[in-house]
Amino acid sequence: MRAAVWAGVNEVAVEDVPEPQLLNDHDVLLQIHQTVTCGSDLHLIGGYIPAMRAGDVLGHEFLGTVVERGRAVTKVQVGDRVVVPSFVACGNCWYCSQELYSLCDNGNPDPGITEGLWGQSPGGCFGYSHAMGGYAGSHAEYMRVPYADVGCFVVPDGVSDTRALFASDSVTTGWTGAHLGGTQPGDVVAVWGAGAVGQMAARAAMLLGAEQVVVIDRLPERLAQVRQHIGAEAVDYTTTDVVAELRERTGGRGPDVCIEAVGMEAHSTGVQGAFDQVKQQLRLQTDRPSAVREAIRACRKGGSVFVLGVYAGMVDKFPLGALMNKGLTVRGAQQHGQRYVPEILRHMESGALTTEHLATHTMPLSQAAEGYRIFKEKEDGCVRTVFDPTG
Amino acid sequence: MSSAVSGPLRQVLGKAAQLGGAALGTLQHTRIPGVGQASTTEPADVAARRWRAVTVFRDDLAGPFPELEALGPDLEVRMQPAPGGRGTELYGRFHGSPTEDQVGELRAALRRTKQLAEVGEVLRVDPQPHGRRTPTPQGAALEGAAAQAPKEGVL
Repeated sequence: MRAAVWAGVNEVAVEDVPEPQLLNDHDVLLQIHQTVTCGSDLHLIGGYIPAMRAGDVLGHEFLGTVVERGRAVTKVQVGDRVVVPSFVACGNCWYCSQELYSLCDNGNPDPGITEGLWGQSPGGCFGYSHAMGGYAGSHAEYMRVPYADVGCFVVPDGVSDTRALFASDSVTTGWTGAHLGGTQPGDVVAVWGAGAVGQMAARAAMLLGAEQVVVIDRLPERLAQVRQHIGAEAVDYTTTDVVAELRERTGGRGPDVCIEAVGMEAHSTGVQGAFDQVKQQLRLQTDRPSAVREAIRACRKGGSVFVLGVYAGMVDKFPLGALMNKGLTVRGAQQHGQRYVPEILRHMESGALTTEHLATHTMPLSQAAEGYRIFKEKEDGCVRTVFDPTG
Repeated sequence: MSSAVSGPLRQVLGKAAQLGGAALGTLQHTRIPGVGQASTTEPADVAARRWRAVTVFRDDLAGPFPELEALGPDLEVRMQPAPGGRGTELYGRFHGSPTEDQVGELRAALRRTKQLAEVGEVLRVDPQPHGRRTPTPQGAALEGAAAQAPKEGVL
């Protein structure tokens, strides 16, 4: 079969690879209908997470049909059209019992790497390097999904492939940030980043009852999507002081919940941006945390800052004093998708949650390298590139 | 690693794979000044005498544990209830001074035992689809680290 693979730093190639097979009794095999680029893939492709092996199949946001199932699978049937969260969770460990699925004890077969880095190993993630389990990703015609009864969710007939596709990661990640960030009815929520995850965090906050939601970015086409499709306020950080802007828009308080959906390659302006770029390139820090810093500064006293963007290691100039003295709650997580997908699919079915506008570009998988280039460069208004594996 | 590679390059790649696995092991026992991300600051011989433990999310956990028994009579095993309804803590420790390899086997066996008790099977990841593996020392080192990963970590 054809698959899009990591072929080296800043190299994506489409190659012939063997078809996957059932390896465990709880596995299913999917025929992939749609699979999509994610901003976090760019950290892998750019070599910022140095645990990729040439030939590794990329992709962790996808939708497909079950074509084969292991003998222990009971819930999912052959022929089901399913969406699957990016993180692999067993459903039986204590973390899964607490619905913290991306922290699953059993989902990462290579736990030694991340235990060494972080002290504990989170669960595994499809197509996301040998640090996160070494699973083959979804940019392929077929794909293996372990623990299928826990991870596969049947898509209602009335929900299109392209809408449901984003329940795999963008919406579930955004929902994780809005929910675990503690969004309450009446809250003011600010979201840094108007990519797919940031937009979906904003929409999730609104569906959870937030009264005012503000999204911060610099790309006019993404800010336009925020206004048109999400129904939130949009702020261009290149034309205004974000902290002052948020203070003015919130009666001097600052947002109750601040969600950072940018990640380790944050773009920022001025001296701070240059400082972080240089330190990252010199490997004096692994990640650029400018959006997190700003969120901590902007957040109201006693508020909540949620780190949704992907970080791998160390940051510099972290405002610990503001965190402590303002009494903030800072929390982060990869997505606990298995907890939220049923609710998300209900909102998708009712029309309260739409995602089709995120798929600005659709291409055959054979053009994956070009698809990633456009996505990385944000060319032609690209928010996400969706690949059709049959093409 | 590609089987098409032969001769001196194969030796280099083999060495790189060994170094990758060894580097992962070293990382677990190395304190990097100013970074503070190492999993332990203890000398390996002190760490080797500690109990290694997993918490299995089952109140009714009971032996036999074939994965642990396979490690031989020098392995001491004990269990106790975990607090807060978190299941059962399962501990293993070798008598005497085990080698790093023995401790690695113990980590891997505890993880397999936990999976068998919680899920009923041990998760596999190979073989699976992949494209062309360009034979490079960095790639071989990563493969060595990944191969060693089930035996490493802070456990």
